[in-house]
Formats: sequence, C-alpha cells, structure tokens
Amino acid sequence: MDLPSIIHLQNHDGGWPYRKGGRSWTEPTVLVLLAQSVQSGDAQSRERGMAWLRGSQRQDGGWSPCPSVAQSTWVTAMAALLPPEQLGYTCHANAIQWLMEQTGEETSLAYRLRNRLLGVSPGPGETHDGWPFFPGAAAWVTPTAFAVLALEKAQRSQRVSAVDQRISEAREFLLDRICTDGGWNYGRSNVLGVDAPSYPETTGQALLALHQVPVAKLDRALAAAQNEARACRSSEAMSWLQLGLEAHGIEVTPPERKLECRSIMDSALKILADAALQGRNVFLE
Amino acid sequence: MGNEITRRQALTAAASCIGLTRCSLSGGRPVVPRVSIVRAGYTQAIYDTVRRLLVEHRVDVRGKRVVIKPNLVEFDPGTTINTHPMLVHAAFEGFRALGAAEVRIAEGPGHRRVTLDLADAAGYFATIPHFEDHFTDLNLDDVSRVTLSHPFSRLNSVYFPNTALSAELIVSLPKMKTHHWVGATLSMKNFFGLVPGGIYGWPKNVLHWAGINESIADLHTTFPRHFAIVDGVVGMEGNGPIQGNPKPVGVLVAGRDMTAVDATCCRIMRINPAMVQYLNLAAGRGRLEEQNIQQIGEPVKSVQTAFELSELFRNIRL
Repeated sequence: MDLPSIIHLQNHDGGWPYRKGGRSWTEPTVLVLLAQSVQSGDAQSRERGMAWLRGSQRQDGGWSPCPSVAQSTWVTAMAALLPPEQLGYTCHANAIQWLMEQTGEETSLAYRLRNRLLGVSPGPGETHDGWPFFPGAAAWVTPTAFAVLALEKAQRSQRVSAVDQRISEAREFLLDRICTDGGWNYGRSNVLGVDAPSYPETTGQALLALHQVPVAKLDRALAAAQNEARACRSSEAMSWLQLGLEAHGIEVTPPERKLECRSIMDSALKILADAALQGRNVFLE
Repeated sequence: MGNEITRRQALTAAASCIGLTRCSLSGGRPVVPRVSIVRAGYTQAIYDTVRRLLVEHRVDVRGKRVVIKPNLVEFDPGTTINTHPMLVHAAFEGFRALGAAEVRIAEGPGHRRVTLDLADAAGYFATIPHFEDHFTDLNLDDVSRVTLSHPFSRLNSVYFPNTALSAELIVSLPKMKTHHWVGATLSMKNFFGLVPGGIYGWPKNVLHWAGINESIADLHTTFPRHFAIVDGVVGMEGNGPIQGNPKPVGVLVAGRDMTAVDATCCRIMRINPAMVQYLNLAAGRGRLEEQNIQQIGEPVKSVQTAFELSELFRNIRL
C-alpha cells in the first residue's frame, strides 16, 4: 500500500485505523503522520490527523491507545515523536511531562519500599527505570525504546538534566535486557533460569533507541539483528530491523521471501524504513 | 468515555442462550459436566471427529455468532506451540455446518504483535481458505470496558475486544501444554488471548501483577458462554508454553465446562488438577473430582501419559 492509498483510508474523524475500515487508534495515526513527513503527503490530511491527535490527548497529558479507553498508556511516547511545531508546543510538553512521571512498577518507590521491608533484593533487571505499556505494570523493551526516542527528540530543542538522566537509565535498562543470542525480546532474557530467544521487531526497536551507544558495545546485537533480518517472516519486524540497523550505519540484507504488508501500520512503517535506507531516519531527527 | 459493560449485563445476555451455558439445570440440580476424550491425528479424519464431538455435546449454535479462539503464540513451523491449523479449520467448518450465523477465528497473541504473520507461519493461511476474511486480531479490535463485580484478581475492570464480548459462544481451542507460571495451560488459560495487547501491551503484564491464577479465574467467569476442544494430538511438556518439548498424546478433549475439560486434561498429563490454583479458584475442589465429571469416549487411563514438569511444579504430579 503506497502513501496515497494510506491517506485515502483516513477516517472521517482524522485518525487512522490499524486496518481498513476500523476505528482510529493513536499508534497508526502517528506512524502515518510520520510517513507523510518523509514523503510528500497531503497537507490537509496531515492537519486533520494532527487535529485528531490534539483532540484525543487526555487531561493528564498522555494519550490512550484509542478514544474508548480512559487511560493514558505507552502510545504517548509515539505521539511525542511528532514535531512540537506540528503537534502543538503545549500538547508536546504535556506529553513529555506525562512520560517523565511513568516508570515500571518494579522500580516504583512503593514496590522498592515494600521489598525493602520484606528484605527482598531487587531482581535481575529491576535496577534501571524503564517504561511500561500500561501504568501499574512492569517496564518492557518496546515502550522504553519509544520513550527514549521521544525524550531525545525533546532534548534537541531544550536540554533538561532530569530528562538526560532518564534517557541514560533507560539505555542501561535496554542493555541489561539483551538476550543470550544478542538481540532483544519483549524484555526477559531469561525466564526461570532458561535463556529466552530474541524477536526481530523488538531487536530493531532497541537498536534504534540505542543509536548513540558505541557500536563496539553492540557487536553481538548488531550481528543478531543481521541474522534475524535474513530469516525475517514479517514486514513489520523487517521494518524495525531496517530502522535499527540503519541507525548504526549498517545496510540490511533483505530476506529471500517477499514480506507482505498486511495493515496500514505495516505499510506506513515500510515507508519509514525505506526512507531510513535513503538517509532519512525520522525517529532520529 | 467509551462503552462500558457490566458483568451483570454480560451474564444477562448469557442467560438468554441457556443452551450454550456451561451449567444447565435439570430438576433444580446441577448437571454433571460431560467431557469427551477422543483419539485423533492431524489428518482429514479430524474434520469428522470434531463434527461428532459437537453433535455428541448437542452444541446448538443455529443463528448464533461463534468465535473460535486458538492458541497462537510463536513462529513455529512444527506443531508444538500453536493450535494445529487443521483442528482450527475443522472447528470452523463444524460450527458452520451446525448453522451458526457467523463463525470468526480470533486471537490476541501475548508476546508477539505480528499476529497475521504468526498465523501465516503456523499454516493458518494455507489451511483455511480466505483465512484473513474470517479472522480478527483481538489485540487490535475495538474494545469496551467490563466491570468485574466480584473479581478473584486485583482487577476491577478490564477492556475486552468487542468481537469477544458480542460472541454468543466462545470456543477455546488451546494446545495441551505445561506452563512455567501456572503448571498447565489449557482451555481456561487460553482466554488470556482475549485481553487486548493493543491496550495492555505485549506481554499483557497487567494480568501478572493482578495475579495470574486469579486473572484466569476472572476471565472464565466473564465469558460464561464457552465450549472447549483441547488439541492434545501433540502437546508440549517441560518448559512450556514456548520452550518445551513435543509430547504426542493423540487425543482431543472437549466439553462445555472448561474447568471439567481442563481437570480431565490434567489427569491425562498426570497432573493433579486440585493442585492447579486457577482450577481451584474457578471450580472449587469438589467439582474437579473425577467422580463429578462424566467421561465420554476413551477412559483417562488409556491415554494417560506423564508430561515432564519443571522443577517448580514437581509437586503437582498426580
């Protein structure tokens, strides 16, 4: 699906669904708007999309995955990837503020205090702050990776030391979660003493978020990502791998099989990954 | 904001199709749940086997909306992790043949968000004609909030996919597997896939913080209109539900009462169902006892085979 086809599937309310005919959700709307910024999109469509996002921002500064959910979640980081001058400066600042207030439950003050009282030491991976998908749950790779990218973008216009500190903590969180095979899965490298394998989509996302980490520190991860790309069976996963590897200056060998874009999100992501291969990685601008 | 459905409303809707509920009454006394064990393989014969199971259990779905919920977890070219596509197709055809108004296949995988790619790799596209037209990704479906009135877990309300909430029968089609957190994953644990990743993430970690066993019991009571067919043709033992080893058993286990079906599966796996916490929560010990379940088809003893258990669950061995 090319960009004009994606634009054509914009809902009347201004947002985009994951799949044709569905209701508007925050995540695909953000990805389509980003895709419109790397190809010549449609100005009117873009503004309608931004207006939908501005209108669906919650009082607390965050976004819910879709309007029928009354809870801000990790998709706030996705929305905060959009340029403040397009999303709106206040909207953007409130989103960053919301993100700064979130942490995985396992590193929350209440949980740490409870464990201290019980004499329980922090478990592996419970020492660094990351971000959860949903407030009240543990931190995982995907929401942490997008929070890092969003905060880094915010830092480019105004540097705040507390934000720097969170970014640095989150990078440690990601480095802590590398699987034995070198890549990342959802965020557990070992389950009950058994090594867990990595996934291509999360490996790509983590590499993207760690673009400022020296390549020497990521040797195994980059090799794992290249191996995963060769065997990849998913267009979405392949796009994240391309974006992640390109962030470290590595060209990707595409898999032998043709990967089908099955959704609006897949197609928007492919546009973003292809743009990165042409030298424009919108997540790092 | 958004749609909200109370558990009372869900239960009222359930009562309107009493023929589908798990506990029917006869003369004021609860009917003993019936559970079938039938031998099966991944061959064409599985289509007939499933049809016979549905007839045997008098599953009346004429004019009703049916949702088939397989267990789709990981990219796996073999048959160990995911529900076999032939069983999914056999159930799909079986319910259509019984006159269901609509049969949808729906799943919301817990770790991977590339659901359709998973389904493709698992052979669903190749086995089920026009698969994508009949499939709903529950992780990304539209949702409504359901208030849990007397939850076992710490959850007060949960967003659920509208496809699941509007179903008049949800058919749990899990794989017979051991599970590193709860001992065994069968028809009840399979309902974790009804919780939308698009809202709660991958993994659906909110359920872990709320109590895994308690959340399983909550899901069971929230969706009372169900039927189960467990894929025990080839199960998984050891470090399930993903990293275990194939365990051929050669059976399907089916029934309307998921606690009874899962208790029977446990006995086949030589697991003591009374030691599986979520079964106790959902059914109470008495209802799990063998004499309180009417067994149809193969006797448990004839197909019983000990599934290897992880260290953590050695104490649940029957």
